[in-house]
Amino acid sequence: MADPAAASSGSLIAGARSSSGKAASSPAENYHLARRRTLQVVVSALLTECGFESAEKAAVESLTEMMQSYMNEIGRCTKAYCEHTARSIPTLSDVVVTLIEMGFNVDTLPVYAKRSQRMVITAPPVTNAPVVPKALTAGQKRTHPPHIPSHFPEFPDPHTYIKTPTFREPVSDYQVVREKAASQRRDVERALTRFMAKTGETQSLFKDDITAFPLIAAQPCTIPYLSALLPSELELQTLEETDSSEQDDQTDSENTTGNIITDDPAADKENSMLPPSGVVPSAKASEENMIDNPYLRPVKKPKVRRKK
Amino acid sequence: MNRKKDKGFESPRPFKLTHQVVCINNINFQRKCVIGYVELTIFPTVVNLNRIKLNSKQCRIYRVRVNELEAPFIYNDPTLEVCHHESKQRNLNYFSSAYTAAVSAVDPDAGHGELVIKVPSELWKQGDDLKVLKVYIEFSLDQPKGGLHFVVPDVEGTMAERGAHVFSFGYQNSTRFWFPCVDSYSELCTWKLEFTVDASMVAVSCGDLVETIYTHDMRKKTFHYVLPIPTAAPNISLAVGPFEILVDPYMHEVTHFCLPQLLPLLKHSMSFLHEIFEFYEEILTCRYPYSCFKTVFVDEAYVQVSSYASMSIFSTNLLHSAMIIDQTPLTRRCLAQALAQQFFGCFISRMSWADEWVLKGISGYIYGLYLKKTFGVNEYRHWIKEELDKIVEYELKMGGVLLHPTFSGGKEKDSPMSHLHFSIKHPHTLSWEYYKMFQCKAHLVMRLIENRISMEFMLQVFNKLLSLASTASSQKYQSHMWSQMLVSTHGFLKSISNVSGKDIGPLIKQWVDQSAVVKFFGSFAFNRKRNVLELEIRQDYTSAGTQKYVGPIKVTVQELDGSFNHTLQIEENSLKHDIPCHSKSRRNKKKKIPLMNGEEVDMDLSTMDADSPLLWIRIDPDMSILRKVEFEQADFMWQYQLRFERDVVAQEEAISALEKFPTPASRLALTDILEQEQCFYKVRMQACFCLAKIANAMVSTWQGPPAMKSLFTRMFCCKSCPNIIKTNNFINFQSYFLQKTMPVAMALLRDVQNLCPKDVLNFILDLIKYNDNRKNKFSDNYYRADLIEALTNSLTPAISINNEVRTVDNLNADVRLILEEITRFLNMEKLLPSFRNTITVSCLKAIRQLQKNGHIPSEPSLFKSYAEYGHFVDVRVAAVEALVDYTRVERSSEELQWLLNMVQNDSVHYVRHKILGMLAKNPPFTKATDSALCNEALVDQLWKLMNSGTSHDWRLRCDAVNLYYNLFGLTRPSCLPLPELGLVLNLKEKKAVLNPTIKPEPGVSTVIDTPASIGIHGVGMGYSTVDEEPDPVSLGVCGVGQPPLGLKRKAETPLGSPPEPGQVLQQQEDDGGRRYKIRFNTMEEEDIDMETVHDSQAFIHHHLNLLERPSTPGKEPPLVEQSMLSMPATPVPSFPKETTSTSSKHGAEHSHHHHHHHHEHKKKKKKHKHKHKHKHKHENKDKEKDRERDNSHAYSNSPASGRSLRSPSLSD
Repeated sequence: MADPAAASSGSLIAGARSSSGKAASSPAENYHLARRRTLQVVVSALLTECGFESAEKAAVESLTEMMQSYMNEIGRCTKAYCEHTARSIPTLSDVVVTLIEMGFNVDTLPVYAKRSQRMVITAPPVTNAPVVPKALTAGQKRTHPPHIPSHFPEFPDPHTYIKTPTFREPVSDYQVVREKAASQRRDVERALTRFMAKTGETQSLFKDDITAFPLIAAQPCTIPYLSALLPSELELQTLEETDSSEQDDQTDSENTTGNIITDDPAADKENSMLPPSGVVPSAKASEENMIDNPYLRPVKKPKVRRKK
Repeated sequence: MNRKKDKGFESPRPFKLTHQVVCINNINFQRKCVIGYVELTIFPTVVNLNRIKLNSKQCRIYRVRVNELEAPFIYNDPTLEVCHHESKQRNLNYFSSAYTAAVSAVDPDAGHGELVIKVPSELWKQGDDLKVLKVYIEFSLDQPKGGLHFVVPDVEGTMAERGAHVFSFGYQNSTRFWFPCVDSYSELCTWKLEFTVDASMVAVSCGDLVETIYTHDMRKKTFHYVLPIPTAAPNISLAVGPFEILVDPYMHEVTHFCLPQLLPLLKHSMSFLHEIFEFYEEILTCRYPYSCFKTVFVDEAYVQVSSYASMSIFSTNLLHSAMIIDQTPLTRRCLAQALAQQFFGCFISRMSWADEWVLKGISGYIYGLYLKKTFGVNEYRHWIKEELDKIVEYELKMGGVLLHPTFSGGKEKDSPMSHLHFSIKHPHTLSWEYYKMFQCKAHLVMRLIENRISMEFMLQVFNKLLSLASTASSQKYQSHMWSQMLVSTHGFLKSISNVSGKDIGPLIKQWVDQSAVVKFFGSFAFNRKRNVLELEIRQDYTSAGTQKYVGPIKVTVQELDGSFNHTLQIEENSLKHDIPCHSKSRRNKKKKIPLMNGEEVDMDLSTMDADSPLLWIRIDPDMSILRKVEFEQADFMWQYQLRFERDVVAQEEAISALEKFPTPASRLALTDILEQEQCFYKVRMQACFCLAKIANAMVSTWQGPPAMKSLFTRMFCCKSCPNIIKTNNFINFQSYFLQKTMPVAMALLRDVQNLCPKDVLNFILDLIKYNDNRKNKFSDNYYRADLIEALTNSLTPAISINNEVRTVDNLNADVRLILEEITRFLNMEKLLPSFRNTITVSCLKAIRQLQKNGHIPSEPSLFKSYAEYGHFVDVRVAAVEALVDYTRVERSSEELQWLLNMVQNDSVHYVRHKILGMLAKNPPFTKATDSALCNEALVDQLWKLMNSGTSHDWRLRCDAVNLYYNLFGLTRPSCLPLPELGLVLNLKEKKAVLNPTIKPEPGVSTVIDTPASIGIHGVGMGYSTVDEEPDPVSLGVCGVGQPPLGLKRKAETPLGSPPEPGQVLQQQEDDGGRRYKIRFNTMEEEDIDMETVHDSQAFIHHHLNLLERPSTPGKEPPLVEQSMLSMPATPVPSFPKETTSTSSKHGAEHSHHHHHHHHEHKKKKKKHKHKHKHKHKHENKDKEKDRERDNSHAYSNSPASGRSLRSPSLSD
């Protein structure tokens, strides 16, 4: 089945270009319908040629579909080969390569084309190819400046490369900015808290309307001092943004206690918050080696069983 | 005064402690228990030391060995249950004396203790050569309620991961709660401390960490500490937890510890500690006495700061990040306090409780010097004024704080302090507020001494004390030098006189040996003819808490020509003082006026009195008297004083005075000061509130925008759009504090309808709306909290039409806006918690205020949920405060019960303390008011709470006493029904209320005089009202405590000490071994001891008496016999037989009461024997007391001595 379909493809490609169809609802649709019908005729002719007397409509439809796909693929591949060689219009060799690539024996094609029992199908009626709407041109196209040879493509429409200030002047009025920032933040906060209140447990100040001023229920937590004392991430962020010098100070002091070498896991754990000793500058490190704090000393191994 | 003991210190004990080993082998966080042993090395100081008294509470003692020999011991803690028997007394007078007696009975300063160890007789002889004894005690603590506090968060993970920790705590000497010791500040010894803890934990304790060794299974490690400096047991502490360790970058011998995850905060908070060290070492010219110092930050701390030898335990809530402004000075102050106490309090200890003021005074004083240096003179003077105002207010209200109580003659009711409902004989009986005021007064008095002898001498004295102590500390025990490390009032005063050569006797007499403050009233007139200022200074020395002052007083007069100091003598009868003026009233135009500090300023003199050259006058400007001055001068003088006097104290005084002068001139003066940036920020803050008050007083004539609004706009709002505040930048702290305060003060403004003006409210709402902290390097949590406070302040009572229920619909529009903000803030806090949850705290206060003003329904459930364990402590306290207020306003017994329940069960000691404190401050009812809350069950509950429920925490017990006092007063609560078996009598009203139908048979009174009856003169406790039908049984034993009807003297009484009220007296009859117990308090007949009554029925028929304890001190009948004589008043005949049988029936129970102490039942016999000895000692004393009593007719009432009286040993 593949053969006859492939055989007809050569002629069909040419045919498809010039075919036309009956008028249908829209010109583009008509165009496609007409071509489809031609394709169906081709399939039917091939079937007859192969000795079929009749075919179900659905079968013909499927075959048509297959054929169309096959031809599409040929077209797509051809175009790809052509573009691959930096051309815009396919040549015969592109088609040949494509066919070879698709596993078709090109040599058989001339013989097949000249076979005796072939049926000649009338060319599809010429219909006007649908008109591609012209791109809207805006402004005057620029001519080439003198240093650009004239064979170069023309400039595109100016709107594609020229900055067009179409936005409004940004609000730089202080009052409005503040107003906006404030109300935005308030809206966000309110929405967020309402959401939290809606999705979780709430407490209410009123008995009659418990939705009026929903308060997120107070949940006891196991270590309350942590959240109460540690700055929130948001605050830490601000701190980083606003002040980096202080951060430096902090790392300095961190380093001071950094150089602790302990050989047991427990002591390591205690000091796990301290930065590794590697980051300490060497001058500092030597100074720290002199720190003799009993809490930094390694834990001694137990002595061999003393009598208690 | 009675300052004896010139020659150093005399130990009250028959032995001297030299060294103590404390070894804790196991700390189980899961079960909250601790196992260990102690070993005390003691030198007997008497021949044949046969018993050793130590302090121990709560500890379960397994065995005691003395020099390897098992030793029997008795454990008896009378403070567990202060009033024995289920007494229905319920009057605070009685409780207080019983409590004092119980504390005295185990007071280590008197050589007593809960634990009495009998030295095995084999060792007695050793006393001859005063050989050393080693007392080894094994003990354990199971779920300690005091002394040690376990914090075990309920999360997944190992104890270390959970951040579980334990630390010691206590009020004054409380070390006995966690190991047996001599719990006295005056018993010094060297220490060896060993703690075996989980390998993931650190044990921090006093002294030097010598080594840390793994146990054999490598799962635990043992921390070995040695403290070579002689230290008193109360200064020993321990903290164990998975602490993060920070070695101080400036001082490597200083180590800081905090809970996991807080290390960055610790680093920041501790970054300036070295400055405090340097400061103290410099002024004291003395190195820090210990070789190391440790700071530990723990959760659920008992107090913010507690100092122990070479370490301090702080609340973890003092830690803060660099973004926090307000907490920073507070934390630094706490550190400075802790460090000051290291020198005076830990290193230098005290001889007795009466010398405590010296330690607290010196540490408070040098802390003040640190404040002056760090925060400036203005801050220092402001602080001194604040402290002075506090103490003056307290003393005028409560009637005097005595720094140096002396107890001559053994009277327990210290007569000068009888106005108090607690005894000041022991630190453990003081109310917390009194103790705080005591500390406050102590440092103020030190400052007075400094004024007198100069700071240089003062510091020399301190240096001398310290160098003596450090010399002594390095000596061996044998050198007997250690007592040099104890400070006494006498020693301190002697040092002062040696160093300065000045006599400060009068000063000490006035402020230290005597309580109360001085109250001056000043006024003046200017005599133009003589050009003399006639100043009149009067004193009020009759009201409570005041005393008469005689001596010099400084008066500063600012005249046109300058400022002049005058020292006047306040004498007995001279009120008027003539002060010549230097300047003429004709003023020199255009001339600058010289101020005290040499500055010359231009003043607009148009407002002043043309005839007088006086600008302002100040009395005692240096605060060199503990006084309150009410001085009258014209408003323009106050205004000049505010504007031009450079002393912040004068400015603050002027501001308070100007409240009474709501005039445009005052307004201008205040506004000017508010704007003046050189002015101290706290003065400006105070001016805000004064301005608000003045504006409200002037509301009808007020011109222009609301007070402070335009000022605030100018200072903090954008130039271009004045309704929008600048984005926050708190780099200038002065303006930060002002920015925080002004809205709060503005919200207090009221218009003619007494509402907060609309534009003020909108203004505050705008501040909240436009608040923008994104560019600020500091947190704005305190600022936002203050804005909420401002909203709260703007609230006024809702107008309610016929008491409608508060619903959302009838919510006032303004209140709706406020509520909207509060809701949002409170909800946001859940998502982004602020530092110390300040915003939640403010929101809770605001909600309570909304409820109170009737805008929203009054409802406690929200507060209850925030008061639960698991919230940050500040939030809990705020919620509890709201609940306390709710309880009072709504008279809700349910909430009161809820709170009291929390007092009993909450695991955070601080919260329990706070609840009682707040209830006492804002009581649900008082003695004067009638309330349904005041009922018998509540009385019983509170009584139980203070009697036995709070025995593990001195402070809490005193809080409970305080609350009881505030609710019911000193006498039996009026809501109590008549005691069932009570005597029918009302002493309080001094009425012969009893129906005298029955007269006692003459025989009764006769027998009373027999020896057997003697000693019955204890204080009877029947306390009841008249109209109840007396129960026959009670009548049988009733004695009536009415004033004498001609009874015989009781001089022959052999046992002088009155028994503890409600206790049973035993009497030995001449003729044989029969013993009698006589119940005084018939309200509980079950207390009669069966074993003593079985053979003495006949006697009892005649002699059971009920004596009435008077309701107020001073009205007490001096003698028992007198009380007995009043028997005729008894309305119904007595039924002796019933009495006896009832008595016998309950006898068994009674004997039980005697030995309620745990684990001691088996040792009953021994104990009695011991008591016998004990008793003899008492007897002698008691005899003396008796004699005294004969003269003074005053009662001493000691349960301790009472107990010894009824001891069975009396019979032989």
